Amino acid sequence: MKVFAFMAIFAVVLIGASFAFADLKTEQELKMLKDVSFAAIQLFCMLFAIAGTAMLIPRDVEDRTLYTILCKPVSRLEYLLGKLGGMVLVLVISLGAMDLLFTGVLHLKQRTVVEQNVAELEYRPFRSQEEREKAVAEIIEVATQQGASWNLQAGMAAILAKSIVLTAVTLLVSTFATSTLFTIMVSLALMVIGHAQGLAREVLLDEADGAVLPRLVAGGVAVLFPDFKTFDVLDAVITGTVVPGVEVLKMGGLCGIYCVLYMLAAWVLFADKEL
Amino acid sequence: MSTVPAVSVEQLTRVFRVPGLRRREFTAVSDVSLEVQPGEVYGLIGPNGSGKSTTMKVLLGLLRATSGKCAIFGRDSARVDSREEVGYLPENPYFYKHLTGAETLEFYGKLCGLRGRELRDRIGEMLALVDLEESRDRRLGGYSKGMLQRIGLAQAIIHRPRLVVLDEPTAGVDPLGSRQIRDLIMELKRRGITVILSSHLLEQVQEVCDRIGIIFRGRMLREGSLAQITEVGNRSEIVLEGMTPELMEEMRALAAARGAKWIHDGHPRTTLETLFLEVTSAAAEAARASAGKS
Repeated sequence: MKVFAFMAIFAVVLIGASFAFADLKTEQELKMLKDVSFAAIQLFCMLFAIAGTAMLIPRDVEDRTLYTILCKPVSRLEYLLGKLGGMVLVLVISLGAMDLLFTGVLHLKQRTVVEQNVAELEYRPFRSQEEREKAVAEIIEVATQQGASWNLQAGMAAILAKSIVLTAVTLLVSTFATSTLFTIMVSLALMVIGHAQGLAREVLLDEADGAVLPRLVAGGVAVLFPDFKTFDVLDAVITGTVVPGVEVLKMGGLCGIYCVLYMLAAWVLFADKEL
Repeated sequence: MSTVPAVSVEQLTRVFRVPGLRRREFTAVSDVSLEVQPGEVYGLIGPNGSGKSTTMKVLLGLLRATSGKCAIFGRDSARVDSREEVGYLPENPYFYKHLTGAETLEFYGKLCGLRGRELRDRIGEMLALVDLEESRDRRLGGYSKGMLQRIGLAQAIIHRPRLVVLDEPTAGVDPLGSRQIRDLIMELKRRGITVILSSHLLEQVQEVCDRIGIIFRGRMLREGSLAQITEVGNRSEIVLEGMTPELMEEMRALAAARGAKWIHDGHPRTTLETLFLEVTSAAAEAARASAGKS
């Protein structure tokens, strides 16, 4: 995978976005930068998780590298865990690099915006020095709330958790898939279902009015497909709302549970796979 | 000396389901039995699709047997821990191209639990053994076919296995590279490592193997030591030094009387290649005949 090419595209998007919203208000300017950047980071991580993982097992089978690994004292579960671990490591490194770049650009943008807005105050008439200082403090407060902060890391954690769950799902699909394309298509479908299933469940249960079958269907879908709604903290992060630490822990725990479930299913399928 | 065979295959049968609407089956290996003693070099020969690779894969736990048993040094080959004793080089292997020779050996060494100085020493030793010391820091993407086979052999033995399984180790390798691999197999034999190999190069098999099994259409047709299976039972031969045509009629008596040195008395041997072709074409003829009758 051309990880660095993807990251170069991200850098271009980020730098472009930092210049694109210069005519907006302080708050909106920083929000838009965060919105575009988080969207780009999330898209990159999720597509990378699917495309990168889908090729791992088929390529090892095709090149017979799998034979040289599995004839060592390595169990099939260890092999799968190794693949998951490798992908998680690549995701952490890529996300870490994008996080650094994004935080750096946002910090610079925050400073520039504050300086520009404070400079513009020179042309505004103030009744007193106190009123002027209050306006400056307001600009700084808005910029601090919407600028680079630890709260951004909650958004990064959500993207990482989602990408790890997608990696585990894709690995599961690739244990029974007949081609890489099939794995990618099914995993993309699962990604869409994962994002929409929370909403679909709510609609289903609202209309069910206590009926058993819709509840069973909703429960089955929730068990079989990952529910990405739990990881949706990005809107809060973009608007500057502080995400509590408990939410981050909850996402981590859910990510762990999904990984364990999907890896166990992958192991069951892969243990009997004819190589 | 250990009485436990290095490899024991008992009545191994492996049936594959043919994909499709009709539930057809294909028997890749049928009722194959063989035993390899520690320190032996065993050659499994047969045409393409005869079941050699399937037998090896079942032995390595990569495929499950439909029926029958496989054991490596007494341990069920389906168990992961049986592979601590085994090294395997598949046919035409492709390793991770972005890794160098030394990194490849490090990767496989770590899979076998080697770490630190022991691993570093072992990597150096293996690269020296397969004559790739100068290419240790080159990426595998730039290796020739022969070099890939040699690094493959090095990864197979990095954890000091007692059994090495080589599937067509010289396939696609030029004569020089092929000779190098043959020498490496001889070196393994000298070190007391048991080797099972499959090859189409019958001359090479004859050169390095102690025992041989001929497999055809999933069945073991002949099995035994090289001397046993190449023996032609209905003929005799006498090797004389200084023999003249006149001595032919009264060889034994006249040889001693006229001072000729008696060198050898035994059965003449055919070549492995001739035997292989005879056995497989007879089996093919028989199969055609039985198919014609039915």
